[in-house]
Amino acid sequence: MAHPVENLSSIKLAWAVAWSAFWTGFPFKLIVALLLLAGQVHPWEGAGLVTLLVVSIPIDIWAVGLTARTVFLERLSMEIRGPVGVSLWWQGAVLGALVLGGAYYAVGTTVAVGQKVAAAIIALIKKFYPALPIAEQITLELLLWTIPTAIVLLVFVLLWLHLFGWRVKRVVVASGQTSSASFVERVRQWDYARVPADPTLVLVSFAGVIVTLTVVFWVLLPVTTPTPHPDYPLQQVQKASKPVKPEELINKTEATLKKAEAVLAALEKEKSRETTKGKSK
Amino acid sequence: MNAIFQKVYDFVDERIGLKTLEAKLMNEPIKGGSRWAYVFGSCLLFIFIMQAITGMLLMFYYIPSADHAYASTQFIIHEVDYGWFILSYHFWGSSAMVVMVFAHMSQVFLWGAYKKPREMIWLVGLVLFVIVMAFGFTGYLLPWDQRAYWATTVGVEIMDKTPIVPGQMTLSRFFVIHVMILPAALMGLAGLHLFFFRSAGPAGPFRGTTEELKAKTDFFFPRQVWKDIVAMAAVFMIICTLAFIEPVQLLEQATPDPGEYHPEPEWYFLFLFQMLRWKIFSGEFGQFLGAIAIPGLFLLLLAALPFIDRSPERNIFKRPIALLSWTVVMIGIVVLTVSAILNREFLD
Repeated sequence: MAHPVENLSSIKLAWAVAWSAFWTGFPFKLIVALLLLAGQVHPWEGAGLVTLLVVSIPIDIWAVGLTARTVFLERLSMEIRGPVGVSLWWQGAVLGALVLGGAYYAVGTTVAVGQKVAAAIIALIKKFYPALPIAEQITLELLLWTIPTAIVLLVFVLLWLHLFGWRVKRVVVASGQTSSASFVERVRQWDYARVPADPTLVLVSFAGVIVTLTVVFWVLLPVTTPTPHPDYPLQQVQKASKPVKPEELINKTEATLKKAEAVLAALEKEKSRETTKGKSK
Repeated sequence: MNAIFQKVYDFVDERIGLKTLEAKLMNEPIKGGSRWAYVFGSCLLFIFIMQAITGMLLMFYYIPSADHAYASTQFIIHEVDYGWFILSYHFWGSSAMVVMVFAHMSQVFLWGAYKKPREMIWLVGLVLFVIVMAFGFTGYLLPWDQRAYWATTVGVEIMDKTPIVPGQMTLSRFFVIHVMILPAALMGLAGLHLFFFRSAGPAGPFRGTTEELKAKTDFFFPRQVWKDIVAMAAVFMIICTLAFIEPVQLLEQATPDPGEYHPEPEWYFLFLFQMLRWKIFSGEFGQFLGAIAIPGLFLLLLAALPFIDRSPERNIFKRPIALLSWTVVMIGIVVLTVSAILNREFLD
């Protein structure tokens, strides 16, 4: 008798695992990417890319393992013995590298050929209808080469899903055992596997992580723009300086000095009067 | 600490019935259990709150006058501590809001959640969609650089064929609409949207047996709340990432002469802008057809949808016309938007 997993479509099974695993790992990778960006390290090149890839590996292994377990439990009523994350991850990665290599070549070729064919078709149309407007031409040309490209890309995605699904099935056959739990219990089981059961723990841990990350983020964040526009920088407004008129300035200074002298003389006079009063007492 | 918290809680509860409110808010049963597909509405609310916070921070420095709008925006970018980041977050937040509205509407459409008894939620949602687009449109002018100025000029001309030259009055009015009228309208209608949603209850998944749905049914708290929080955090991080990768940079100050700059509206209106370049839409009647009649009829069709589509079937794979229409509209929007971008190189 065939194993129940054999009745499932490989593509659907692989999609269920891979799609959920992608979104499960995505927020964690995003945190790393964001902290790198705040520290002005680009996560798409050099050290930033290496860091992101290295960090992504354990995240993906964990995510694939978690989602595979929940998918098996939900769709096949099966529990898996031992860790499956590493096994599924490396098989998915090897298959991904192979399919990606093929897709890179095939999609590139389809784009090149598609664009040539599209240009030829447009040229042919222009022979019969020389006034073909540019806006219509652009959309038509775009559709002519993107439709075959999208089909080729879709074929490769389906190929990878089919191969990955086939490997997932092997894992289930090798280490899966039918769960004796009822449907309701299984629902709880896979739900709790994805979301912590304790609401207080959920909120406290989440708040703690957010506070820590926020502090790190603001410490790393540049205070002023790290990328000012090269052509339109901030226009420094210069304060209009008053024209200097030497005569006015001398007169003003002299008047101030005279005022100061008069104040000083008055103060000295008052002081000498106080001293005389003190002696006579 | 707990005793003090409990006392405060009891004090408030005695006066406003906090426990009942909490039970109503958190113990909402979700048919078929929590799902990631249900996070879009919460994410929209989160984006709006963040837009309001960043918008208020920007208002501390922004001057809504034709003489100072550009300089004050430059000042925010170059001089105010973290101003560049707050402005860039606000800028990308508006785009995120448009994307999220499309995602939310698509989810509701594909799940058939607009059908009886949820017609009112759908109708209010449509008005909210128009408000979100208006938010983007009015906010785009405020930095008062060439891009802002000409996007508004083109945008107004799409809706009303009378050519306009945005000036102080346009800026003042757009500012008031952006920071006063639209937020008030959005808050009121979002509240109504949520009220209708809670009254009718979530539609739940379109597949599954009654036994399965019953077994999976769960309360809003904690599992859906958890999923909503994770999704909001992801949205926040995506907006921050975009703000880092492509921070706001102003072009030259707005002038009535476009010079080298080729006017075009914001990216989410590009598909319409490109469509209007087609020959079929040339001439006065053609422009009316493309700019007013077709978008207007499309909105009317969306509004009438729950009353036209009365079949109780919600499974999208058993509604081929709905699936095909959604696919055609989405591909059309993407293809026309890319065409508009490609069209730029032919403008010189």
